[in-house]
Amino acid sequence: MREKASTFAGEPEPSGPNRRTVLVGAVGAGVAGTALAGVGVGLAAPTTAPPAPQETLPVTLTVNGVRRSAPVDPRASLLDTLRDQWGLTGPKKGCDQGACGACTMLLDGTRVLSCISLAVLHDGQEITTVEGLVAKGEMHPVQRAFAERDGFQCGFCTSGQVTSAVGLLKENPRPSRAEISELMSGNLCRCAAYSNIVDAVADAARGER
Amino acid sequence: MSEQGIGAALTRVEARDKVTGAARYTADVVLPGMAYAALVSSQVSAGRLRSLDVSAAKAAPGVLGVFSHLDRPTWHRVPAIPYFGETRMPFSDDRIHHAGQHIAIVVASTRQQAAHAAALVKAEYEAGKPVPTLEKALPSAYVAAQGNYVNFPQETVRGTPEEALAGSPVRVKAEYRTALISHAPIEPSVTTATWEGDELTLYDTSQAVVVHRGLVATAFGLPEDKVRLVCPLIGGAFGAKTHVWGHTLLVALAARRLGRPVQVVITRKQMFTTTGHQPPTVQRIEIGAERDGRLRVITHDSTNSTSFVAERPENTVLSSVATYAVPNLRTRVRLARMNFGTPTAMRTPGDGPGSFALECALDELAHELGADPVELRRRNHADVHPQSGKPWSGKNLLECYRIGAERFGWHRRDRRPGTRREGNDLIGYGMATARRVEHHRAAESTVDIRTDGGVVVRTATQDIGGGTLTTMIQVAADALGVAPDKVTITVGDTDLPPGAPTFGSITSGSNGSAVRLAAQDARGAAIRLAVGDKGSPLHGLAEDAVDVRDGRLFAKADPRRGETYAVLLTRNRVNPLRGNGKYSPAESQYETSTFGAHFTEVRIDRDLPRVRVVRHLAVIDCGIVLNTKTARNQAQGGIIGSIGVALMEELRQDPVSGRALAPALTDYHVPVNADIGQIDVHFVNKPDHNSNPLGAKGLGEICSIGVSAAVANAVFNATGRRIRDLPITPRRLL
Repeated sequence: MREKASTFAGEPEPSGPNRRTVLVGAVGAGVAGTALAGVGVGLAAPTTAPPAPQETLPVTLTVNGVRRSAPVDPRASLLDTLRDQWGLTGPKKGCDQGACGACTMLLDGTRVLSCISLAVLHDGQEITTVEGLVAKGEMHPVQRAFAERDGFQCGFCTSGQVTSAVGLLKENPRPSRAEISELMSGNLCRCAAYSNIVDAVADAARGER
Repeated sequence: MSEQGIGAALTRVEARDKVTGAARYTADVVLPGMAYAALVSSQVSAGRLRSLDVSAAKAAPGVLGVFSHLDRPTWHRVPAIPYFGETRMPFSDDRIHHAGQHIAIVVASTRQQAAHAAALVKAEYEAGKPVPTLEKALPSAYVAAQGNYVNFPQETVRGTPEEALAGSPVRVKAEYRTALISHAPIEPSVTTATWEGDELTLYDTSQAVVVHRGLVATAFGLPEDKVRLVCPLIGGAFGAKTHVWGHTLLVALAARRLGRPVQVVITRKQMFTTTGHQPPTVQRIEIGAERDGRLRVITHDSTNSTSFVAERPENTVLSSVATYAVPNLRTRVRLARMNFGTPTAMRTPGDGPGSFALECALDELAHELGADPVELRRRNHADVHPQSGKPWSGKNLLECYRIGAERFGWHRRDRRPGTRREGNDLIGYGMATARRVEHHRAAESTVDIRTDGGVVVRTATQDIGGGTLTTMIQVAADALGVAPDKVTITVGDTDLPPGAPTFGSITSGSNGSAVRLAAQDARGAAIRLAVGDKGSPLHGLAEDAVDVRDGRLFAKADPRRGETYAVLLTRNRVNPLRGNGKYSPAESQYETSTFGAHFTEVRIDRDLPRVRVVRHLAVIDCGIVLNTKTARNQAQGGIIGSIGVALMEELRQDPVSGRALAPALTDYHVPVNADIGQIDVHFVNKPDHNSNPLGAKGLGEICSIGVSAAVANAVFNATGRRIRDLPITPRRLL
């Protein structure tokens, strides 16, 4: 018979300082080459972690035309708040560092990186996500153009690309192809559907599709 | 190509979902009572944990559990390699093999609480002396014994290479280096684990749910049918999700211990340090040739880094073994261990870095001979496989050269480097060959025809962005004789018939063949049902006297005589009519590969020597193309990815500790929209039925092979500077 499935063998421990600190017999798995210097203590992890903050603050946002309020962890990004609290999973977490653009939302009509925007700092403001671009079941012209032009592959960056393109066309309704490329360069597409993305934004700008 | 079936430029079936945010990826799955995990990473790259104080983390608000090696995970067994990342199970001891190694997992009620508590875990290390870089590891490089990842010949000899070199009238010899590069998919790796008794369900960013299920089952000592993996859509991977990595097992373990679902979204930094990378390589190539350009001999020595917990050689030398007709050859692959995470497959393993070295070396030979680079390659075309002597299942490489040279305007290239200028720009042309072994894997699918005329394809493959959902529908529609819009597809769940992995360019050929066989099975069963049914207008006809079009079965001799699948099945109360397809690749008399030719134009400002690829043209021979719209997009993407490899991508390491200096997308530069010039792709588009029943071969990798060499060769043509180290940054050209 099969034995019980794997688990952690150690018994559950109560929280607090009186914990087992015995090192379990440290047998390297026959791995050569990691020569131990045997002296000195290496870099320690940071020991000055910030104190636990106040647990929540009330936040009210208008999201895709709907007023929503919730107690929000002051550490929570706009992105995590919309995804975790309100189930708006269109915007994606790609890097959580403001570098990839997958989390792009419109904040009072302007493109922002929601993964590096704290929700509590935007109390009272208006948010549009990719879900909010669909009106009465009809896709936004930018969404239609992305679909028809195959402006994506895996689709993970697409919510951000589409939202960013909508913001771009508000900033600059008649962009040249070079301007589109430049102004969409904050949104990484690792599948590199870039040519099709430019085609899609150009189509939407012309209102052809 | 039929108008709506195979080859048609259909819009992806999931297009609306992807552009409206409705498409559900792994991190979008929320389970009732789900807790959130954060992983704590080692700050040092070698040594052991002297102590790990988790008391503050455990006491932090919302924390449900903190686990580490101190909790002694009882792994059942180390799963099989390849496809499990490493030989060491996570948390199995206090040893540290690389910076970023998982040393603890913190689970809390919210993401913010988990991240905060992870920062409170206090580790003290007994730091070892790391082997920081490939450069420092080279003196201890060795040839690995077969086993695990070491699954191809590490040394190959053909003919008498040393004698052939000595007798060659023309010789070129050079050393090429490729950088440590990272997949950097936009979707990070995510695992959500939930248990019901002894049954485990994992929502996991997996390029192979079927293969990974077996590995997870092994780790936990469960029968395979007690593990379910779900992943219909992958948000990019490029190899990063080919293997099961430690976080997947740790989250499952934590979920079991806590008795509730647990999700981890690993951080971008952890993507760079714990889910593999393409290792840096040092490759020495020597070529001996006749004065007319015919190759006499190639020697190719390649060394790549690997970790201290896995031996993984890059099969760079296959480029030299299998691309050109050369009678004498010697190759050798060596490994050099460094204290960095474990390397893995990355688009394109082996042939990416290997073709860079070989195709640059050929360009050097062409220059030495004063020969045209395309002509040199034509002259050394391998009519049969140069190592096995077997015929190719299908090969149209000469056509790739011809079409490519013509469309690109290759004749305008000036052989004298550094002669073409426009304003302040130097202009250069370069080219290279692409060749990739076509891998085959067993795959299964079912195809159901329903009484309403609808069709459902079920197969446990996954869509990574290659258009698989759409192409599999096109394959089924074509074989059944129905319109594609009647067909839906369900993928990415081990409860479905076992489909193919979405790596190694396997999906189109292998999974496509399974879908085709299933659809043919269903079609045949429907025809048999009709001709044996007294109520059918087709009653009494021979099976091969019946054809199907637009969902209607009809007599070939009298197309007015017939009925639809829907009418036939409704009358016979068969719902659904199921066809089964099982593709089992057999030992073949053929060698099967995909081929291509890349042509590229670079422009380089003389004062600020930043290389711009203004124009790239690829001709690709991958059998029949299933969807020209998604295929063109995929090929353009593969080319652009490799332009990134050629010009900017490098995960730089600290020379003392070996740690990644800046594991973030802010510093690991990948191509952005404004970097892209004109990228043209042409497909030969001839079916290769000797390869598989469908005649389609993989595209995802072949499109990316040879691009970095074509760029480097163009840089030489533009400047006269031969850059043998990737990436070709302005610093290297100054």
